[in-house]
Amino acid sequence: MTDRPDAPSALGQRAGKIDGPPKVTGAAVFADDLRLPRMLIGKILRSPHAHARIARIDVSRARALPGVHAVITGEDLPERYGVIPVSQDETALKIGKVRMVGDEVAAVAAVDEDTALAALALIEVDYEPLPEILTVEDALTRSDVLIHEDAKNGNVTKRVFQRYGNVDEGFAEADVIVEDEYLYEASTHVPLETHCAVGHYTPDGKLTVWSSTQIPHYLHRYLARVLGIDAARVRVIKPEVGAGYGGKSDPFPLEFCAAELSRRTGRPVKIAYTREEVFYAHRGRHQFKMWLKMGVKKSGEITAIDYKCWLDGGAYSSFGVVTSYYAGVFMTLPYTLPRYRFEAIRVFTNKPPAGPKRGHGAIQPRFALELHIDKAAAALGIDPVDLRRRNCVEPGTETVNGLRITSVALKECLDAVTKASGYHEKRGRLGPNRGIGLAASTYMCGANHSIYASEGPHSTVQMKLDRSGQVAIFSGTADIGQGSVEMLGRIAAEVLGISTRDMRVVEGDTDLTPVDLGSYSSRVTFMAGNAVLQAARRCRDQLAGPVAAKLGCAPADLVFRDHRIWPGDHPEWKDDPAHSLSFRQGVEVAEAATGQGIGAMGSYRPPRIGSRFRQTSVGPSPAYSFTAQVAEVTVDPETGEISIDRIWAAHDCGKAINPQVVEGQVEGCVYMGVGEALLEEHVFRGALYQSPSILEYKIPTSLDTPPIEVLLVESHDPEGPFGAKEAGEGPQLSTVPAIANAVWDATGVWMNETPFLPERVLKALEAKRKAEAKGRTAAVAPAPRGSGSGT
Amino acid sequence: MMRLPAFDYRVPREVGEAVSLLAEYGEDAKVLAGGTDLLPSMKQGLFTPKVLVSLRGMAELRGIRDAEGGGLRVGAATTLRDVARDPRVLALYPALADACSTVATHIIQGTGTLGGNVLLDTRCTYYNQSAFWRTALGFCLKKGGDVCHVARTSPTCMATASADTVPALILMGANARLVGAAGERVVPVESLYTDDGRDWNTLRPGELLTEVLLPPPAPGSAILHRKMRRRQAIDYGFLLAAVRVDGDLAGGLTDARVVVSCVGPRPVVTPLGDLVAGRPLTAELAEEIAHAAARPAAPLTTHGVMPSYRKKMIRVTVRRALDTLRGEPSAAV
Amino acid sequence: MRQILRLTVNGEAAESLVAPHQSLADFLREDLGLTGTKHGCDLGDCGACTVLVDGEPRLSCITLALECEGREVTTIEGVARDGRVHPVQEAFDRCVAAQCGYCTPGLVLSCVALLRDNPSPSEAQIRAGLSGNICRCTGYTKIMDAVREAAVELAGQAPSPAEGSRRD
Ligand SMILES: Cc1cc2nc3c(=O)[nH]c(=O)nc-3n(C[C@H](O)[C@H](O)[C@H](O)COP(=O)(O)OP(=O)(O)OC[C@H]3O[C@@H](n4cnc5c(N)ncnc54)[C@H](O)[C@@H]3O)c2cc1C
Ligand code: FES
Ligand code: FES
Repeated sequence: MTDRPDAPSALGQRAGKIDGPPKVTGAAVFADDLRLPRMLIGKILRSPHAHARIARIDVSRARALPGVHAVITGEDLPERYGVIPVSQDETALKIGKVRMVGDEVAAVAAVDEDTALAALALIEVDYEPLPEILTVEDALTRSDVLIHEDAKNGNVTKRVFQRYGNVDEGFAEADVIVEDEYLYEASTHVPLETHCAVGHYTPDGKLTVWSSTQIPHYLHRYLARVLGIDAARVRVIKPEVGAGYGGKSDPFPLEFCAAELSRRTGRPVKIAYTREEVFYAHRGRHQFKMWLKMGVKKSGEITAIDYKCWLDGGAYSSFGVVTSYYAGVFMTLPYTLPRYRFEAIRVFTNKPPAGPKRGHGAIQPRFALELHIDKAAAALGIDPVDLRRRNCVEPGTETVNGLRITSVALKECLDAVTKASGYHEKRGRLGPNRGIGLAASTYMCGANHSIYASEGPHSTVQMKLDRSGQVAIFSGTADIGQGSVEMLGRIAAEVLGISTRDMRVVEGDTDLTPVDLGSYSSRVTFMAGNAVLQAARRCRDQLAGPVAAKLGCAPADLVFRDHRIWPGDHPEWKDDPAHSLSFRQGVEVAEAATGQGIGAMGSYRPPRIGSRFRQTSVGPSPAYSFTAQVAEVTVDPETGEISIDRIWAAHDCGKAINPQVVEGQVEGCVYMGVGEALLEEHVFRGALYQSPSILEYKIPTSLDTPPIEVLLVESHDPEGPFGAKEAGEGPQLSTVPAIANAVWDATGVWMNETPFLPERVLKALEAKRKAEAKGRTAAVAPAPRGSGSGT
Repeated sequence: MMRLPAFDYRVPREVGEAVSLLAEYGEDAKVLAGGTDLLPSMKQGLFTPKVLVSLRGMAELRGIRDAEGGGLRVGAATTLRDVARDPRVLALYPALADACSTVATHIIQGTGTLGGNVLLDTRCTYYNQSAFWRTALGFCLKKGGDVCHVARTSPTCMATASADTVPALILMGANARLVGAAGERVVPVESLYTDDGRDWNTLRPGELLTEVLLPPPAPGSAILHRKMRRRQAIDYGFLLAAVRVDGDLAGGLTDARVVVSCVGPRPVVTPLGDLVAGRPLTAELAEEIAHAAARPAAPLTTHGVMPSYRKKMIRVTVRRALDTLRGEPSAAV
Repeated sequence: MRQILRLTVNGEAAESLVAPHQSLADFLREDLGLTGTKHGCDLGDCGACTVLVDGEPRLSCITLALECEGREVTTIEGVARDGRVHPVQEAFDRCVAAQCGYCTPGLVLSCVALLRDNPSPSEAQIRAGLSGNICRCTGYTKIMDAVREAAVELAGQAPSPAEGSRRD
């Protein structure tokens, strides 16, 4: 029995998503919407110093305030944690010293928010300020100042050095060498919902924490450890989450504090961050300084890349060790690269910690590489699309660093996007100050290795059917808006031939749902999707035998569609009650025939095909998605303002389980890219954010967002569920370089530094005018207008 | 949720009552109009008044009335949206309608009032921050500290005038009716502001702004409002400018004035009568006016946007506004 | 001191004792349990807390509850008509205009007001109408689709064009 397309498929339909109705009616419950009887409100006291010793904390006045039920400090939760096992450098409340403005120092629980705030004001802390490390340069040179005194490598979180082949040979072979420096500025997620957690410790010794987390499973493990409660007695529930984009992946102090304050008071405790606190929690995009050198032959063949980057990591490691790998490993894609060397250095600074933001670690180097490709094309007089096609990886190959490539539809993406945008007709021909640019990229579909060493499955889904006709799916995944609930439901619906509206998807509750590693590294569709596919097929098999017996056909002949089950070689029997059954009847028949309930588990564990290079243990993924994007821009030569007229995004998602959801992911990626290209950056006054607010940290409004046109390309990955791959992160990688390449087409200046603020554009334009006046040419001369077009 | 500090709340039914409440509570009272400036600032701990005197009970403060002898009287508590949509305002004072609709967002325009805009607190990146943030940096001259983080040696505060409507109002020759316990007075909007961002307005203690008086537009005069901001909504300007020219654009001007704001505690008014008298508004003159308007403005680091860039943009913005008057499409591609 | 507040919320009269420093958002969420109203910044910067006051969008995080004395407040829980979700809500659902859904209540209310004032908005007018509500997930693309679809749907429903226009 196969998933036969005998009747309209559940896949590909445009009819909303399972969790749409509660979200559009206000019925969806987010963490801060929870109200439990006797619930207290918690607040956290933060350090106003960037680097200081805590000489004294006195909480006695706060404790004495009427309405205050508990006050805790660092010593009350001394266990260290950190999302990556090799870098356990955080505690819920800081002990002995603080490392950034906003570091957590104490927490209170009180009858209401006003009282909790009043209590914070009564806590006395004496700090002895220490010298601050604010830049990568300081971190590397000031060995006298250590942010983590027990760190192995001073202020370096992680250094990664990898070499595949001899790059010098490659450069010797090259006809053109392009070398440049880039700066990709730090930015942050700004999920509209601020982080919130409710802790509830009950007299049976059990702890429940509701939290706006992307990864209930890791939070579960760390709550057990930090609170010292057996994991079997800890339950994490993820309510609806007002998005994360990576920003709710780490375990956060509010989760531990809400839990501990509840344990101490015997009452539920809720803590919600203010918007400003979310800025301090951060874990956003690392600032990358990059140096990149690439050799290309006249034919367009890339001969080698040498690349070095420095990451400003902030005060804690977060995912930084992984970021340091992602900073380099994906540079061998999507262009075939025979020789490659890279070095990444992530350092600690006294600033909020960077971590995983959509396109984690890969966005910054992609920016550099895609500008580099266009620079090489200009130098060689080759069309940038041709140069990309010329080097495009092929399915069934392996990259120089050992990444296994299954499905690739990048050329199709390039075709789709150049055609839709009129790239070749427009390039160099849009007139003064208008331009069009293209970039391509790739991203993984989850990591082959889990964050902590484990041979267990990465995703397990449990499915239950019963005579009501309802299907329940239990999964530890975390829908944070990206649509995993819908994805699970659609896949099950496709297999069982029922509508998603008859399904209940129970997600992200560690008591009820089997383990899933959570929503990060774009793993959910591929991994949980395969798990639910397996579970659904197993359930269908349980129905098929008894139903086939009843209908007098072979189980393999049955078709499940439109809530009916019938022998596939008799389409006319579909609605004939004598020869077919409704889905509900099918379940009844199977229950009666076997005397058993119907249900199954399905799991997914990535194939054991890590890279053959031991050093490349981070990077291997069961599949990769591909993207090509085109941006059309207008640059105001007097103000330096860039307006993006339109963006076309073609994405190889393998297979669109729900095309509306996939398009939405691509649109969201492009949107975030637009923000990082034009508006968003973390500016500091010393160690202090200049703008920890939505007013001053400029995320785009509808008026700052260009029209976005999405083109879905389906490559049908051999191992993806129904061929599906990721769509939630990869599409962001192309956006910023496509815009930069368009600015070059418009003006002849390379914006090597993000964001492309008007003052920076203006400065670049002025520099170019001056250089032209002096008759000097830039390192890479822009191609004459119009010469870059044509295929 | 960010909390407001506690206060008492009063809703007077007429101006007399409001004024006596303000007199009674003195420094402890604050006027609440739309609250779109005051309430966020209170959440950030910038003000902790004991009493808020709400304007919502006084119908006389809302609405737009024809003034005797021409012009309009706009009640101080009239929302920016109602001003922007009023057919008389659109016909007579298009620059004011424009200015109202560049404030924040359409939602805030439906709540924020013209009076509140005229009396919008001066703003600065070191001031409009939470209490925690300001503690971390060290308090500034404007609130609780003794140093200006923008200009460390400055004895006065550099926070900037930021209200979108004010440059146009000044060029329209608008007046403000102020009512206090001691009586009422009518003063030019231009005279409401000072050079110290801390003590930035000239209202006397307990005075209420009841009306903004718009004189009939002078024949043959044109006013334009311009705003530059990073983001096209939910954003204060990093530069505000209004431009006025009088006379015959082709034949010869009689007068011109430019107001530039967001560059210091008070809007910078540049009279240009001498420069333009008798000259037609050519591209060259536009350039000269733009230069003259930029000269006295000295933007500082009060905003996230570089001062040198803001200064440069004054010239571009003013010249482009004049180009629009000349019927030239704005130089932007 | 707490004061008595009388107002109409979602068509029902409500009377309550509130503290002067309570925001409308706080009052709706904490006192009335109307948690469909969200908050993303509490400072007037994001639009998540948008409700309708006398039919006009208003940021409930920077509105005092007491300022709504005698007024009619509509929250996301109250936009359904005659037991049926509003066409704007239907269109949001159909178009997958809600990803995480956190901006959605505020956006739905802004769109309801937008389409009442302007039953057939242009692209630019739709963009302007959404510009007070930040959505960090969607790039506004599917939200714009939803507004267009809802406009068509509402035009089909309206007995006469005049009905769709502003009340005053
Ligand atoms: C996100 C956001 C963005 C914004 N963007 C802009 C912008 O781009 N441009 C801009 O100009 N403004 C902006 N504002 C500020 C504000 O919305 C407007 O200036 C609005 O017009 C203020 O009017 P209000 O009625 O809300 O003032 P309120 O906040 O009520 O009052 C402002 C001040 O004036 C005093 N006051 C008000 N009315 C009177 C009166 N009649 N007599 C005496 N004193 C009075 C108050 O006591 C208070 O000190 C923004 C606000 C927010 C939250
Ligand atoms: S919560 Fe009210 S505008 Fe953000
Ligand atoms: S759907 Fe997530 S913020 Fe709009």
